[in-house]
Amino acid sequence: MITLKNIEKVYRTTRIETLALTNINLSIAPGEFISIMGPSGCGKSTLLNLMGLLDEPSAGQVQIGGEVVTQYRDRELARLRNRKIGFIFQSFHLINDLSVIDNVEIPLLYRKGDAVGASRREMAREALEKVGLSNRMKHFPGQLSGGQKQRVAIARAIVGRPDIILADEPTGNLDSAMGNEIMNILQQLNAGGATIVMVTHDETMAKQTHRLIRLFDGALVGDSVLARTDD
Amino acid sequence: MISHLFKLIWNKKKAHALLIIEIWASFMVLFGLLSLIVFNIRNYSQPLGFTYENVWAIGLQSNQDTVGIPQKAQRIFQRLKAYPEVASVSRASNNFPFSSSNMNTRVDHEKRHTMVEYYIVDAHFSNTLEMPLVAGRWYRGADSVGKFKPIVINQKASEELFENENPLGKIISKDKQVIGVVGNFKGKGEFMSNQPALFEQLDENNDWNKTMLVRVKPGTDAMFEAKVVKDLSAMQAGWSVEVDHLTDSRKTQHNLTLVPVIIALIVSGFLLVNVALGLFGILNLSIARRRGEIGLRRALGATGRGISTQFIGEIWVLATFALLIGLLFAVQFPLLDVFDLQRGIYVTAMLIAVGIIYGIVTLCALFPSRQAAMIQPAVALHEE
Repeated sequence: MITLKNIEKVYRTTRIETLALTNINLSIAPGEFISIMGPSGCGKSTLLNLMGLLDEPSAGQVQIGGEVVTQYRDRELARLRNRKIGFIFQSFHLINDLSVIDNVEIPLLYRKGDAVGASRREMAREALEKVGLSNRMKHFPGQLSGGQKQRVAIARAIVGRPDIILADEPTGNLDSAMGNEIMNILQQLNAGGATIVMVTHDETMAKQTHRLIRLFDGALVGDSVLARTDD
Repeated sequence: MISHLFKLIWNKKKAHALLIIEIWASFMVLFGLLSLIVFNIRNYSQPLGFTYENVWAIGLQSNQDTVGIPQKAQRIFQRLKAYPEVASVSRASNNFPFSSSNMNTRVDHEKRHTMVEYYIVDAHFSNTLEMPLVAGRWYRGADSVGKFKPIVINQKASEELFENENPLGKIISKDKQVIGVVGNFKGKGEFMSNQPALFEQLDENNDWNKTMLVRVKPGTDAMFEAKVVKDLSAMQAGWSVEVDHLTDSRKTQHNLTLVPVIIALIVSGFLLVNVALGLFGILNLSIARRRGEIGLRRALGATGRGISTQFIGEIWVLATFALLIGLLFAVQFPLLDVFDLQRGIYVTAMLIAVGIIYGIVTLCALFPSRQAAMIQPAVALHEE
């Protein structure tokens, strides 16, 4: 599903170069639920950004669903992000001036042809039902709790039925009860066939995934298959 | 996407209220200014109805002299006619073309009435100003003995008084008979609208109306002008003689129209530049504050161009809200017939003002929206 070959990422300014990732080789199979851990600044989010086509590697190759995307142009990258990838962020990134259902609809706005008008509304409603928020559709983000906001963000990530969900510390801003709630939803989505890559600082959350990748100073230092606690 | 943008802007309407008011105010100012400009351009494009090149207006003041004024004026008339440099001479009232005098009166025919610019001129007037007649004829000296005063009206007066009927032979205001019709007559210059006009035969025995309109032959120079002034002053001692060239008077009349328009144009220009700078600043600020949203939209599938289009779209939606309110006000002008202008003038002004407002907001949004398009999604998301 996702293959990274010899990935290197260097952030350059006029005065300094920072090596964010080096020699990353990683292959993620369809249906996997992977967690990425490591200390702050080790390159977790950078790795997630590269998988999500939000950033370009300085060297190496990124493949998504068998397509080598390294040379893709902006339009093709945007299409891939829209069709194949759903994003969940630690700080939710909801647009406060739009209602819950309007926020969830956003990815479908950038999808030409098969998601128009009423069908877009229907897809957003279904996504909100999946995360248990069908009764909050007309609310605005400011009227929701942190957990509810993250569920809206999950609904937005899954509304376009992507194959891959990338979650950057999805429980980072939530208390443990809310965090568990979100984790349950992610596990359900994974059970439904979605490939999930999650960056986390929380060992307990990481242990609920299938595989744990560890990064340190931009290098991949651990890749272990976990005994699943939900089995 | 359009409904999404409308929703986004509508939900932020309080935050955008001042911006909407600013665009609305700009539209109203533009609409007013453009109505004035369209009105003047329309007038300018209509024929003047006479020619003024090589025509001089010789103003005569008898001052302390009160004896035999009509006869003396006629002698001057005959003297002017005798110069070989003169092609034609006419006596006219003080409201001759491009003068600063006005004289109007109300005339009626049956139950219709209208205000006309009222010119008292002699039989040579149409010849001196090369005014083509569209019907009938200009009056002659012999017409003064008839039961009715012979008059010539312009087509506008004819439409107002007789609609589509033939005006020739019709009696207006009990004692005036129409014997001829001219086309346009815009006595105050090209920028004047074509108002109803009436030409009544001048009574040569009257003390008044002794302005001489002289058409000189092409190439006649200032030497002749000096000679005329000298000769006439010598003929009638104590009289003052003043020569105005209609080409100069025309410029003065044009300035009276153009100067206020130019001042309004400059003031509006500054206003629009201010609005444009304000919009530009607000958009720049808005983009800086919405970097997280831009990153998010890129992550969810927007292209750089899509982001750019969104920001232009948003400002278009804002402008549309402001213009809808503005049009609600502007449309009252043609509906209530304010200032008695043709509806087409207001409609044209509205359309141009709408076009200019959309043009300005697009220009203001172009640079900030391009900047927004260049924002790296990963960086923008991280900043949030």
